[in-house]
Formats: sequence, C-alpha cells, structure tokens
Amino acid sequence: MAKDRNPDDFLPLTPAMFHILLALADQDRHGYEIMREVDERTAGKVRLGPGTLYGSIKRMLGDELIEELDERPDPEMDDERRRYYRLSGFGRRVAVAEAERLAALVKVARTKKLLSVHRV
Amino acid sequence: MKTNIPLSFRIYELLLVAYPCEFRDEYGPLMAQLFRDRYRDEATKHKLAILLYWCVVVNDLVVTAFKEHAEKRKGDGFMNNLRRDLIGLSASAAIAVAAFALLSYGRSNEVSAILVFGRILDAVATAGIIGNIVVFLLARITKWDPLRIALWTFLIVNLVPAIVLALVGPKIDPQFRLTATLTSYVVSFLFWFSLHYAWHSAGRNALAKS
Repeated sequence: MAKDRNPDDFLPLTPAMFHILLALADQDRHGYEIMREVDERTAGKVRLGPGTLYGSIKRMLGDELIEELDERPDPEMDDERRRYYRLSGFGRRVAVAEAERLAALVKVARTKKLLSVHRV
Repeated sequence: MKTNIPLSFRIYELLLVAYPCEFRDEYGPLMAQLFRDRYRDEATKHKLAILLYWCVVVNDLVVTAFKEHAEKRKGDGFMNNLRRDLIGLSASAAIAVAAFALLSYGRSNEVSAILVFGRILDAVATAGIIGNIVVFLLARITKWDPLRIALWTFLIVNLVPAIVLALVGPKIDPQFRLTATLTSYVVSFLFWFSLHYAWHSAGRNALAKS
C-alpha cells in the first residue's frame, strides 16, 4: 500500500511531525524519549506537549509513517507500560522528501542573501 | 515541592477529560505518563520551571483537545447528524404545538370530540416539549445510544408528572380521574417513544444504504 503512495502528498509536514520523524530516524524510541530528543536537539526551542506528541503519533500511525513495536528494545531495563515507535520505510521517504523541500528553501534564502554561506 | 507533585499529576489526569473519549482511552495513560516524566525533570530545575511547564501543558491541551474534537466531528459526519437531529427536534416541537393548539381550540369552542382526548393531548404536548429538548441535548453531548436516551427520558418525563398528579390530583380537584390521567401519560410515552424508534430505524436504514 505504501509503495503506491507519493511522499510529496504528505508535504509540508507539521513541525511536530517532522521532529518526530527526525527523532526516530536513528533509533526506536518511546514517547518520552522522542520528547527529550527533540528538546535536546533544538536546545529547548521546540517543546512538544503530551497532546501534540500523541496527536501527531496517532495521525502518523494512521498514515503508516511510523509503526508501533510489538517487542521492546530492552525489556529488563524498561517500564512495560511504554510504547515504542519505529520509522516505517514510507515514513523515511516522507522525511527525506521534507528535508529536501526545506533544503531547497534554505538554498533560495541563501540566493536572496537572507542567510550567509557559512550559516545554516 | 514534593507534596505538590501528586496533586499536579491528578489535576493533569482530570484535565484529560477535555479530549474525545476514544483518544483518551488510547493515549490518555501515555500522556499522563509523559506528563509525570517531564514534570519530574522540570522539578529538578527551579520553581519557575514548573510554572512554565504548566503554561506549555495547558496551551498544548487547549489547542490539541480542540483539534482532536474537530477531527472526530469531521469523521462522524457531525453536521449531517446535527441537521438530522434538528429536523427531528423541529418536527417534535411542531407536533407538541399542534397538540396544544388543538386542545386550546377544543376548550374554547367546547368541541367534545377534542375534549375527550384533552388529557392525552395535554400529556403529549407537555412531555413532548420537555422530553425532546432533553433527548436532543443528551444525544449531542454524550455518547449514549440515542434510542436508549429517548426511552429513559420519555419514561421519566411521563412517569414523574403521572405520579405527582396521582398523589396531588385528588386533593386539589374532587373530580380528578386517576385512570384517565395515567392512561394519558402511558399513551404519551408510547407515542413519543414509537416516534423516536421509527426515526432511529429510518436513520439506520439510510446509513446502511449509503
């Protein structure tokens, strides 16, 4: 089903959704880990509230951008009430498409001298 | 500070009622867990951090609860249901008004054919106006089965006046007729509940066809 879908149809992503996809790009995480990862990566500038996080997760599960894991990465070390999420293959394609869209925008901003060459 | 922590947890869990119940059932415990984890982190910083965190959480709650309700209504075909319910309510009001008008006409012109059914018209009009407003409101704001709402509402709005009149009627009116009064409320209950049953069945058939 995901093969028939075009990642561009999901763009632009909401900032919360893109941050969640980024958080899951390198490892499976539960909700609190996602929240902390986003917080640390953005130096506290993006703070996902519980409603935003789980509202986005609900929609991303529905769109099959992410999937809930049946097994737990480390059951002995973990609270079994937590749910872990993983980036799906289609979710990765959507994240790449969104990153490319944003990169193209940054490029335009550079040509318009809104950004210096060295500043990202 | 530690003594305030459980209270904050409980307050947040209570605030989760702002979300639609399906969303709350699925994600409520996870959101409460997330709130507690984050709260503990903030509690290690400074007192103002907790206050700022509450500001973020309340803002998040208001915005996302509204969003989830809007999404749920879109999925439910909320406007179609609302239109259908308003048509039902208007039709019920029209029936109740017609019963009142007929009764008033019968009394002012002493039309015996109408006055024979006077008590029934009285019960149909009174129970109809009150009962249908209650049914409409409960069907809008709760998730209960509309037919069950109609059953209980019309049972109560017919039973309560019937009991009150049965107790008080003979004391205030020597010519009070208990059997006729009770019959009128039974007929009123059967009339309104049958109407709701038919309306409910018609809606279900229309849904099945679509």
